[in-house]
Amino acid sequence: MGKSFPGVRALKDVDLHIRKGEVLALLGENGAGKSTLMKILSGVQPRDEGDILIEGENVAIRGVQDALEHGISLIHQELNMATNLSVGANIFLGREPKKRGLIDETTIFTDSKAYLNRVGLDVDPQTVVGDLPIGRQQLVEIAKALSVKARILIMDEPTSSLSQNETNTLFQVIKDLSSRGVSIIYISHRLGEVEELADRVTVLRDGENAGDLLHSKINHDAMVRLMVGRDISQFYARTIHEPGNGVLEVRNLRTPEHPEHELNFSLKAGEIVGMAGLVGAGRTELLGTLFGVTPAVNGEITVCGEATAPQSPEEAIKAGIALVPEDRKQQGLILEMTVRENLGLASLKQESPKGLFLNDSREGEITQKIIQKMSVKTPSDRQVVQYLSGGNQQKVALGKWLAMEPKVLLLDEPTRGIDVGAKQEIYGLMEDLAKRGIAILFVSSEIEEVLGMSDRTLVMHEGRITGELSRDELNEESIMQLATDNPNAA
Amino acid sequence: MKVSYNLCLISALAAFTFGLASCGGGSSGGHKATYAFVSNGVDPFWTIAESGVKAAAADLGVHADVLMPAAGAVEQKSMLEDLLTRGTTGIAVSPIDSANQTDFLNMVAENTILITQDSDAPDSNRLVYIGMDNYDAGRACGALVKEALPEGGSVMILVGRMEQDNARRRRQGVIDEVLGRSHDPTRFDAPGSPVVGEDFTILGTLTDQFDRAKAKANAEDTLARNPDISAMVGLFAYNPPLILEALEQAGKLNEVKVIAFDEADRTLQGIIDGTIHGTVVQNPYMYGYKSIEVLKAIHEGRDHGAGDDGFINIDARQIRKDNVEEFWADLKKKLGKE
Amino acid sequence: MISFLSKLTGPQNDGMKRILGIFVLLMMVYVVTAIINPNFLGSYNQENLIRRTSLFGILGVGVAFVIITRGIDLSLGSVVCLVGVGVPWLIIDQGWPVPVVILIALGLPAVIGFCHGLLITKLKLQPFIVTLCGLLMYRGITRGFTGDQTAGFGTELKGLRWFATGEIPLRIGLDIPVPAVILMIIAILAGIFLNRTIYGRYMLALGNNEEAAKFSGINTDRMIILAYVISSGLAGLAGLLFVLDVNLAQPVDFGNFYELYAIAAAVLGGCSLRGGTGTILGVIIGTALLQVLRNMMNMAFLGFQRAEFAVIGAVILSGVIADELAKRAVARKRAAQKQK
Repeated sequence: MGKSFPGVRALKDVDLHIRKGEVLALLGENGAGKSTLMKILSGVQPRDEGDILIEGENVAIRGVQDALEHGISLIHQELNMATNLSVGANIFLGREPKKRGLIDETTIFTDSKAYLNRVGLDVDPQTVVGDLPIGRQQLVEIAKALSVKARILIMDEPTSSLSQNETNTLFQVIKDLSSRGVSIIYISHRLGEVEELADRVTVLRDGENAGDLLHSKINHDAMVRLMVGRDISQFYARTIHEPGNGVLEVRNLRTPEHPEHELNFSLKAGEIVGMAGLVGAGRTELLGTLFGVTPAVNGEITVCGEATAPQSPEEAIKAGIALVPEDRKQQGLILEMTVRENLGLASLKQESPKGLFLNDSREGEITQKIIQKMSVKTPSDRQVVQYLSGGNQQKVALGKWLAMEPKVLLLDEPTRGIDVGAKQEIYGLMEDLAKRGIAILFVSSEIEEVLGMSDRTLVMHEGRITGELSRDELNEESIMQLATDNPNAA
Repeated sequence: MKVSYNLCLISALAAFTFGLASCGGGSSGGHKATYAFVSNGVDPFWTIAESGVKAAAADLGVHADVLMPAAGAVEQKSMLEDLLTRGTTGIAVSPIDSANQTDFLNMVAENTILITQDSDAPDSNRLVYIGMDNYDAGRACGALVKEALPEGGSVMILVGRMEQDNARRRRQGVIDEVLGRSHDPTRFDAPGSPVVGEDFTILGTLTDQFDRAKAKANAEDTLARNPDISAMVGLFAYNPPLILEALEQAGKLNEVKVIAFDEADRTLQGIIDGTIHGTVVQNPYMYGYKSIEVLKAIHEGRDHGAGDDGFINIDARQIRKDNVEEFWADLKKKLGKE
Repeated sequence: MISFLSKLTGPQNDGMKRILGIFVLLMMVYVVTAIINPNFLGSYNQENLIRRTSLFGILGVGVAFVIITRGIDLSLGSVVCLVGVGVPWLIIDQGWPVPVVILIALGLPAVIGFCHGLLITKLKLQPFIVTLCGLLMYRGITRGFTGDQTAGFGTELKGLRWFATGEIPLRIGLDIPVPAVILMIIAILAGIFLNRTIYGRYMLALGNNEEAAKFSGINTDRMIILAYVISSGLAGLAGLLFVLDVNLAQPVDFGNFYELYAIAAAVLGGCSLRGGTGTILGVIIGTALLQVLRNMMNMAFLGFQRAEFAVIGAVILSGVIADELAKRAVARKRAAQKQK
């Protein structure tokens, strides 16, 4: 089976081939053209030039329906499911089997069950999708793709919101599918996964083929080299240095989501502490409580010796706590507003002469400083944020706190869904901020990132802090043991 | 589940229909007779009628309710339906939209004694119509226009709405009298285009759907459009006061003649001050009083005093500077204000 | 001039373009009407138009704040009724002293808005429901305490009525109605508030994305409550001016549908019901367009007066459609540029 299409405008003469039953990883920084390529293949966007050949036959894909008919199915990064409908209803959405004009629920039930079995998912097809954890929703999407007899399955960042366990399950399913002859195009920023999974790697850079790597040649450095076009000797910017005085002290804290557990930990000035755990371990909720989004049930939070009990982000910020939330589009940024307005939003009051009027020139100054410092790539500070790439958006979401000099910076999945180059810049920034004496606590589901960036690591499991690992004790196994709370695990 | 729900609905409907039939039809037996007087809106005009209703109820020893729908024909309809459900003996109504309410009014007439007042529903099975002939009243108003403008001139007519039979006939009466035409209530001139006669031109008719600000804007726009207009006629009670407001702000009081209808305080004051030439008043007090009297007579099987056409005429009067003070004093007495 | 305007409208995206678009539409209606009836341009008619635009404009500016914070206020017409009927009723029928009544007329609506805001932010009720209930309640209360009687000033209070009916003579052959001065003051204050103060920025931000605004440390509840206070407060002021102008108010229908005129004007003027965008100048031009359209029906198309609402509806709809198409064209252009 082959596929090629030279000459799409956002893409310049890109070739892509995939064999039956092959797992092909497609890599590239954001803006390299991966998404465009996938949109063309799945019929979301028309192509300008070039051909798509399936089993030697030139096929015309004019819409999503055409793509499905040719067995091409795309599983989008942000899952596209009606979360208020049942699993079965989602699998057959738009193609509901009918009996006497009514939806045939029996067929939906039995057929769904069969497809769910193939992806190793043991749930009742009548379960409402929104009630499933995100990893299982992903598997439902795959079951849906199987139900349309997909021969080529395109998966865009499928693991970005999955825990390690869920990721493992997904990999099993992928391997199983490929052994049954389904071809899989796998797009990911997580190079570790690619190493584990891919038969072959195709790298795109600036809309062109940057190179292919065969199974034996797939390794981290080789992939990064192809993606950024240069060597990256020191990917993580972390340097070891002595932490300063205690900044954040958390004593007997109970969060509204897990009031049965008391949480205790502290952060020192200039320290970067990672927080690992599976999705749903209560890490995001803990950050939410520290930041006043979901105020604590009880317990003490002390910032630089002053007790605080933030009831709202406003109060948390006053106490010197800042948060870059995981969902940057919904919580971190106001997409419809400009870079300048976003960067200024958190510090408006402090920069306003009488606490009332906007200070235009000061705002401009601060904005320029942050843009330069963080090398935000934007045509101007009047650019609307939604037109920036993911990495640059994240820089803005982080940058808005720089103007107000927080004492504690909380980062929730700071590099989720952004490309390698931007990741590295974010790491560099974390390092800079730590050097300036800010205490940083970051939640990450990428073990590699936790290993690379933290001075110290806290691990959570089901709302509890199950352990703390120093840099010496830190490795993948020790994290997974604590994250699954299983001292006997490998 | 669904079946039982439907059953519930059906039985509820059945109970309702049965209740309606038994209340409406069997009203002559047993409990005390009650009458209802339903207006076509909320207005001081109806407050005067209300005092007539109350006076009649007291004189005749019956119970009578006065209902004023605030939200147009839809509310009037549900008011009438509720009255039927309650088992009212007789209803006197001023239909808001007589042409389209005929079937509904006939349904009401089947279940209770129905008469109309103020505005008629000539095609329905109402037994009696108490009111004035609006066409004649309109002609009386037209006569005031000719009186105010012996040399002739241009005239704009302002009215709340034209869907009502009374408004339509009233307006036509004004036009026919001003232009010196023959007596023909069925004539109809389109409201938008000017009607030109020998001495007079009727510039048009503006409606406001009871929006007071709009009514004033209509008067203002008339002055803007026709700076040299000779007279404005306000056919609903609130129209003349708003015409005065517009004239006052434009500095054209006394320059443009105003001929009014009904007896708003500001209108009567305007006649005393000389800013309004005159007005034609109905006798809403008598509408109220007579309605209850006639309903009781029909209920008791006595003669109601109307002719074959079922029309009981309550004359309209022309009020000018010479008789305004006497009229106003009498009005205040009826309203119990003094 | 342009820089002054942009100071008032702020650096919002496409704000100026929207204003320009609706202004062109307004001018077209002007030209058409003036050709059909030259009296349309007479100073008397223009003064009337300015006065009406000013009265309705005050309502529009108020509701714009609520719409910008992604809310809606359906109770405006009933607040107009409450104040419009209540003021003459208290002064003439009940004999209360004028200053006290004026104080109530301006203060009570603000309290009403505060309650709306509290219910919407603290109890998390939907703005549509809260203000719909307000729509029903305030008119009902007014009808209750007045016994459905028309209230008016008769020939009294000429001095106070100057605020609505008075005119300030200019030497250009056009006198400026006093309400226009009032609107001008309100508009400038509102424009400065929305675009030059941090609270205005907060409102725009939370209208776009309330959660992100909260995550930036903004007390969003306080801002939303403030928006409803402004909206109801200005409705109260408008109600006062309306009754001073018209001189009589009927509880049943005074101010009926005015909330819809205000919302329509705000939307025409560039406020999105999705929140986060809107300019004061746009709202005022939107109001002017509506009033000129109504005037046009009387001045130029007398035979079609009945179709007035149809014309207004069609103009609003075509305005919104044109705006959406323009936005798409811009988006396409942007996408095309990106591809290159």
